Amino acid sequence: MTGAPGGVSVRAGIERQPWGAIGAFLLPAFTVYVALTAYPVLRTFYNSFHRVLPRKGDELVGLANYAELARDELFWRAVRNTILWACASPLAEVTIALLLAVALYSRIPGMRFFRIAWFTPVLMSYIVVGIIWVWIYNYDWGAANALLRALGLEGFARAWLGDPKVALPALIFITTWMWAGFNMVVLLAALHSLPGEVIEAAELDNCGWAGKLWFVIIPLIKPTILNLLVLSFIGKMKIFDLVWITTKGGPLWSTETVSTYLYKRAFEWTTFDLGYPSTIATVWFAIVLTAVLGLTWLFRQRERLEY
Amino acid sequence: MNTAVRWLVLALLALYTAFAAGPFLWVATMSVRTTTEISLDHYAWPTVWHWDKFPAAWFNSNYNTYFGNSLIVVLCAVALLTVTGAMAAHCFARYRFRANRLLYFVIFSAIIFPPQITIIALFQILVQYGLYNSLPGLIAVYVAIQLPLTVYILESFFARIPGDLFDAARIDGYSEWQIFWKVSLPVALPAIATTVILNTILLWNEFLYAVVLITDDAKRTLPLGIQRFMGDQLEDVGMIATGLMIAIIPVVLIYAFFSEKLIQGMTAGAVK
Repeated sequence: MTGAPGGVSVRAGIERQPWGAIGAFLLPAFTVYVALTAYPVLRTFYNSFHRVLPRKGDELVGLANYAELARDELFWRAVRNTILWACASPLAEVTIALLLAVALYSRIPGMRFFRIAWFTPVLMSYIVVGIIWVWIYNYDWGAANALLRALGLEGFARAWLGDPKVALPALIFITTWMWAGFNMVVLLAALHSLPGEVIEAAELDNCGWAGKLWFVIIPLIKPTILNLLVLSFIGKMKIFDLVWITTKGGPLWSTETVSTYLYKRAFEWTTFDLGYPSTIATVWFAIVLTAVLGLTWLFRQRERLEY
Repeated sequence: MNTAVRWLVLALLALYTAFAAGPFLWVATMSVRTTTEISLDHYAWPTVWHWDKFPAAWFNSNYNTYFGNSLIVVLCAVALLTVTGAMAAHCFARYRFRANRLLYFVIFSAIIFPPQITIIALFQILVQYGLYNSLPGLIAVYVAIQLPLTVYILESFFARIPGDLFDAARIDGYSEWQIFWKVSLPVALPAIATTVILNTILLWNEFLYAVVLITDDAKRTLPLGIQRFMGDQLEDVGMIATGLMIAIIPVVLIYAFFSEKLIQGMTAGAVK
């Protein structure tokens, strides 16, 4: 490291600090950061203790918003839905992606084509994807029911997004469809970066397909798998667009997420108060932060135990 | 691997591919069929290709406005993001100063902030400064939300540029700004291209901030336009499909030319 005791090294001499340049380089980024990220976060926090009505001074209400939130059943419903989504999705996506990646790894012809085709859904906006899936789930002519009817399983045909029992799983299915390909491409990159001898050695040991996957491949690419799980988790904790374009949280709040509920409370309900939605945001921020830090910590612990 | 297993795997992959790409193909076929044709059979191949639906969707439903707005917003935001992000990333990677890692962490940690935590206050702030319902306001917000990812991708690339290159430039009498502009940026061009393409796609698709910060029809971006279009033409499936294709085509074009770069960018954050 630089700055070792024993006086000024030649390197330190060359690298004296041009503070003017440092400041100039950082100024634009930090202006944006302070004005449009840090300040809004603090202001949301401030709002959460106030009643914030348009064209009126903010009225301090203390913890009243928090007390109301604790009793707000719709909010907790939204929290449950979102957390269910954020837990189910990573597992489904990464499992499917892993199987696909391993299948592709064995040098299948047309690999490049597959890779590009599977990656396509993540490039589309949730709005486009949402509309397409509203059609796929259409009761009369959607592909989902058409397929079921063709297979003679008419009993299972239903209005997928209109039935409170299946609407949320149906939406989770959409995000899985969207993100499995992305996860697969990432896992494939991780597989290709492994030294080829390791996998060849496993093949020589003849420990079988599943054994090879479980005992050799998964441990080797574990850091990537864990990153993907966390990434997918964070993505689903934010989810808004897809729900908004497909169900708007309905039917009967069965697909309400924290984002959609917050949006409704802030900009749709005619309460006009921005304080309460800010409380939702603050509490949710704390939950997301705790969950992400907790997951990261948990994964680190387990890694340490194994080595 | 024996042949039977190989064929089985290949069949499974083909099936999954149909599942992943099928919906887009379906929308593509519907985009050139009229709604009457579609309601007869939703899954038929187009017999007559109604290309005229594209100009119809474009001109009759304000699509040209939405498309233009999206273009302005995305181009400006990406240009600002690239310059701002590259300057900061260059600084973090290049200078060893006290608080370097701390400041980097401050910006980087915003990557996990859920949008909910800023969106209400951003709405208030933009209203306060007369930037609500304006494209410049949306552009500024877009720069802020994509900044952490941009700095993260660029910093890790800048950090790998050998220091000797900078020392040589300094001995040649380059100023700090010239070093950034004439040494760092050209060398980092691949990483910059990655962030440009990635940010372009992500912002082209952005919906939540746009729906909160824009209400005026003349200022709507494409995702908002599609939502409105969907509301207006609820039964006109064929026309909506055409509208969707117009939104998809730019993304597909970018993807066709830069698929490798894009995949690199999207995977950059995921592989450590």
